[in-house]
Amino acid sequence: MSRFATATLGAALAVAAAIAGAAAQQDYPTRPIQLMVAFPAGGSTDIAARIVASIAEKELGQSIVVVNKGGAGGQVGWTDMVRQKPDGYYIGFINLPATNTIILDPERKAIFSEKDFTPIINQVLDPGVIWVRADSPYKTVQDLIEAARKSPSTIRAATTGILGDDHLAILMTEEATPGAVFRIVHLEGGAAQFKEIMAGNIDVAFDNVGSIVPRVKSGEVRALAVMDDVRSKFLPEVPTTKELGYPTIISNSTRGIAGPKDMPAPIVAKLRDVLKKAMENPEHIKKLEDQGIAIKIMVGEEYAKYFADTHAKAKKYTEWAKTRPMK
Amino acid sequence: MDTLQHLMTGLAAALSWQNLVFALIGCVLGTLIGVLPGLGPAAGTAILIPLTFRLDPTGGLIMLSAIYYGAMYGGTITSVLINVPGEAASVVTCFDGHQMAKQGRGGTALGIAAIGSFVGGITATIALVVVAPPLARVALSFGPPEIFALMLVGLGLVTGLAGRSLLAGLAMAVLGLLIAMVGIDPVRGAPRFTFGIPSLYDGVGFIPVVMGLFGVAEILLVVGAPTRQVIATKLTSLLPSREEWRRSGGAIGRGTGIGFFLGLIPGVGAIIPTFVAYVLEKRISKTPEQFGQGAIEGVAAPESANNAYANAAMIPLLTLGIPSSPTIAVLMGAFIINGLTPGPFLFQERPDLVWAVIASFFLGNILLLVLNLPLVGLWARILHLPYQYVCVGTLLFCILGAYSLQQNVFDVGVMIVCGIIGYGMRRIDLPIAPLVLGLILGPFIEKALRTSLEMSGGDFSIFFTRPLCLGLLIVGALILLGSALRLAPAEVRKASAD
Repeated sequence: MSRFATATLGAALAVAAAIAGAAAQQDYPTRPIQLMVAFPAGGSTDIAARIVASIAEKELGQSIVVVNKGGAGGQVGWTDMVRQKPDGYYIGFINLPATNTIILDPERKAIFSEKDFTPIINQVLDPGVIWVRADSPYKTVQDLIEAARKSPSTIRAATTGILGDDHLAILMTEEATPGAVFRIVHLEGGAAQFKEIMAGNIDVAFDNVGSIVPRVKSGEVRALAVMDDVRSKFLPEVPTTKELGYPTIISNSTRGIAGPKDMPAPIVAKLRDVLKKAMENPEHIKKLEDQGIAIKIMVGEEYAKYFADTHAKAKKYTEWAKTRPMK
Repeated sequence: MDTLQHLMTGLAAALSWQNLVFALIGCVLGTLIGVLPGLGPAAGTAILIPLTFRLDPTGGLIMLSAIYYGAMYGGTITSVLINVPGEAASVVTCFDGHQMAKQGRGGTALGIAAIGSFVGGITATIALVVVAPPLARVALSFGPPEIFALMLVGLGLVTGLAGRSLLAGLAMAVLGLLIAMVGIDPVRGAPRFTFGIPSLYDGVGFIPVVMGLFGVAEILLVVGAPTRQVIATKLTSLLPSREEWRRSGGAIGRGTGIGFFLGLIPGVGAIIPTFVAYVLEKRISKTPEQFGQGAIEGVAAPESANNAYANAAMIPLLTLGIPSSPTIAVLMGAFIINGLTPGPFLFQERPDLVWAVIASFFLGNILLLVLNLPLVGLWARILHLPYQYVCVGTLLFCILGAYSLQQNVFDVGVMIVCGIIGYGMRRIDLPIAPLVLGLILGPFIEKALRTSLEMSGGDFSIFFTRPLCLGLLIVGALILLGSALRLAPAEVRKASAD
């Protein structure tokens, strides 16, 4: 066979393979897709995942199976995700900044970095909120900060877990208000916070709007500030930290769908379009908003940039959290 | 009278045929979830939440609650039949339930478990209706220091589980506490004993461990035995004898009381009440040597405690909005998805719904009894199959269960390794129960200790300045002292005889 023929044949084979590959991508999906949630069934990420999966699978023509890979604050699930083939049949939720702090904490020895994910679409952005019991002496954020300055390390402030967004939010608050130091208590989630605040074992809680809206409405607790630059539609009467003069205290937790790195563009586009449509569906919006959870759809460049920005911000506070004295 | 009126309205709503069907479906699904090891009530309920999206909130919540307490019963079945706890709260039932099955009394064990569960569930629900609001404050008086003290009292139970040698029992409890140290430490977030394996970051899973120590070890023991046979050779009565009734009555009552009171305290979990009920029965029994050899009280008490706990744990949820266990937290999520926030305000805003759900607890417990008693005979027949079939079936069942926990093969490995360890322990007569107790209590103790010290800024006086906490610590010290005095002579005698 002449060299020319070999080259032609080689080229033809390459083209054929490319066409077959493209066809595979065009047919995508031909089998069910796994949607990994890095937390146990029943958590807020899981519930929202099941809602969006049940809507999107109708449009996609293949079922979307929610798979819970809980453990180690998400690390087990994300470790699993980056090991998968980037063929679009295994995607999963990433929770920022939790995904970032795990990468950034050297003790965690995560096998993945921020570059190992293909961000597809963000679903939820839940701003942080500072709240106290309804009969607390702290009526405003200023009251709280004054008290934390006057007697540092005595006001018991609860997170919802080490190196979660709420932990970072306390550090942001301390940074923005020199002299104010809190006694940080790590609790396991919003329910534990609510119980300990009600029992008087904790003075102030840092959590997210979605966990606390009904309690604010019923008058059991008082929200002092939403840690965002715009007011929350669920707590329109609560001022933002930006309004109060603390523009650097901006904290939230977001969750969105990503895949392993190097996913083919057509598959990303298909998933993005289907998932976007599902998230814009009134049923999805109602189910989430009834729980006080704010939908924030971000795709493409916007979501990639958001991921990078969150990572840079989380880096600073994670390093600080690792060196801050215990008390 | 107001309460009674509300309850009657609720009962009328719960008795509508749709809601009855939902409760029935919930009970059946719950029993299935309970039977499948690995798939526990929390995950089972969560996966089935989307099923209830299309229902009206009342029907949906009735069904989810029924799944919850159905699962608490279903776990018993596999504990008794094949020594595999179907869900974590049924571990204790393995101790005597499976021994009863081996003696041909598997039907009786299942029967008394169903009856005990019914009594526990109904009593706790009556208490929920009558005394819930004042008792709800109990939930708030247990902060992290009190939980820490309570768990230390729990650790004092170990002497009651120790078997022949107190020393071996204590060693096994310490081993359990050590295994509980594996994982990310709750103080600084550093991994301990994880060898860089992310699957170990959350610690060694409790369910695969107990499935291994009990279920897999049991298979290995039978396979290793010289003669193969069926588990039970003769079919005896399914209902307890008069003597067994007499012995179970008190046990059911005490188990119900323990389950109810511990159910009021958030953060205790469903397993500890069963251990407390078991050890109490053994302590007050005239024949403590029968425990672990098929004592019916050893099944009746923990099973009653388990279901009394399940229903009592609804009290902090409904009255204060505090979920006291992971499963209850899932149920709370279901309320919230329906736009309802459990708590004092829900009783005012939607009394119709709250009371219908409470009334459905009564119906659900009756349904469970009606469903399960006739099935007891059917289940007991499994014991008459040749053991080689049961062995293979059990092993498959265990592997599936361990895998379904988090869809992680690692858990299957943990289970198999623990099966081999459990086999070794049984061969050299080391008690397994204290190890399990240490493994359960370890994370609670560490977490509560650390949160307490975070609250106090590192000052240990927090444990001595809170009256309830101090009281519990004194009780714990007295229990330990009492056991030491009671057991010491026996140990000394044994040592000198050796």
